[in-house]
Amino acid sequence: MKKGLEKNMVNKKYYKVGLYSSYFLDILMIILLILSIWQRNIVWIFGCSLALFVSLIPSIIKRNYEITLPLALDLLITVALLLHVGGGLLNIYHTLPFYDAITHFVSSFLVAFLAFVVIYILHVYWEGLIMDNYAMAFVVVLLTISMGVIWEFNEWITDIFVYGGLHEQWGYNDTIKDLFIDMIAGIVMAVIGVNMIKKGSFDQMTREFGMQIDKKIISKTRKKKKD
Amino acid sequence: MEANIKKICRIKCFQWSLVLRIVMIISLILAIWKKDWVWVSGTFIGLFISFLPSILKKDIKITLPWVLDFLIAFVTSLHVGGRLLNFYGIIPGYQLATRFFISMLVAFIGFSLIYILDEYWEGLKMDKYAMAFVVVIATMSTGVILEFIKLLNIPGAFYYVTGSEYIKNYSLMLNLLADTIAGIIVAMIGVNLIKSGEFDDITENFGKQIDSVIIHRKKQEK
Repeated sequence: MKKGLEKNMVNKKYYKVGLYSSYFLDILMIILLILSIWQRNIVWIFGCSLALFVSLIPSIIKRNYEITLPLALDLLITVALLLHVGGGLLNIYHTLPFYDAITHFVSSFLVAFLAFVVIYILHVYWEGLIMDNYAMAFVVVLLTISMGVIWEFNEWITDIFVYGGLHEQWGYNDTIKDLFIDMIAGIVMAVIGVNMIKKGSFDQMTREFGMQIDKKIISKTRKKKKD
Repeated sequence: MEANIKKICRIKCFQWSLVLRIVMIISLILAIWKKDWVWVSGTFIGLFISFLPSILKKDIKITLPWVLDFLIAFVTSLHVGGRLLNFYGIIPGYQLATRFFISMLVAFIGFSLIYILDEYWEGLKMDKYAMAFVVVIATMSTGVILEFIKLLNIPGAFYYVTGSEYIKNYSLMLNLLADTIAGIIVAMIGVNLIKSGEFDDITENFGKQIDSVIIHRKKQEK
């Protein structure tokens, strides 16, 4: 009983830290927006505004659809956007070595995290999918790599039809490097995810979100099928 | 009538895969005659893979589905032909076509494994569309792994990656596109075969044997 209470207090403490971090990151994003306006940098005014809007999407979803994304997912979305926008506006991509690799890793990790959350929720609430923890981890790695491939397709097509040469993609070595980072991010998330599932913390983190998804989407589809 | 047609098709495919193996044996002799030892080992590996179903059948009582048997023989012949007779360099698009069939083979192996695990292992239960989705992403990912191996650029052991950055990148993206399309095609065929019950016919023996040889044994060990 006492242990349970202590655990609950620790969780609340972590939640508060996460929440304040999320606010802090939103403030940083606003500062970047102000900076881009001050620099009269049209591209990044648009970029920052879009990033700020995307980082607010979890709050919008919560208010309008009563679906609460896990705080870790909310934080990861904001960090990924902030890294990209900050890197572009402050020219860190070209000044700091490995910055591009770090940004790519964070984005791929976000994709892997989202994939793990979705697969886990489907495993728990949908009768169409039952998966062993390790099978889940394996699929997460595959999904992260293939999302990386789709991203590269997007860049490749843009280069062919818009630029007529290498622009979005910097070349063969860069594409391979990006795909390698995607794979590493997928593997890291898979290892973390399996450990979290074993400890029970993944279930705790996704419970509210899972129940909401079940109520709003999965059970409705089930009812429709029955009808 | 339908059963007869199926029987004839199977016999024809068996004969075809036999012809492909003979072609590979000729390739092996040709490679020895040319004293191209790297290609000799390449052809030998290809030949070994194409005979693998028969070896497996004898040793641990596993019969690969005939489609898989046929695809292995076909793909290895294409690859060995491309390397040995330099079709990769002479015929435009040959490399891409080979890559496409390799990916189809990978996708088919993936689909069979997932289907068998779904049928016989309690650790995996999947809707057929989820299965198709996993097959597509597995094929795409295997293509990426293949590209990593190419990057190692071991002379004579695998493809050389040559040309300008643009050409190399273009070729890489075309290969990844071929993997994706092959994965999607096999996924669509697979879903239709599951719906009609034919996928079960194709993999039934293999599945039962995998279950008795591997899954059931692991269960007993536990």
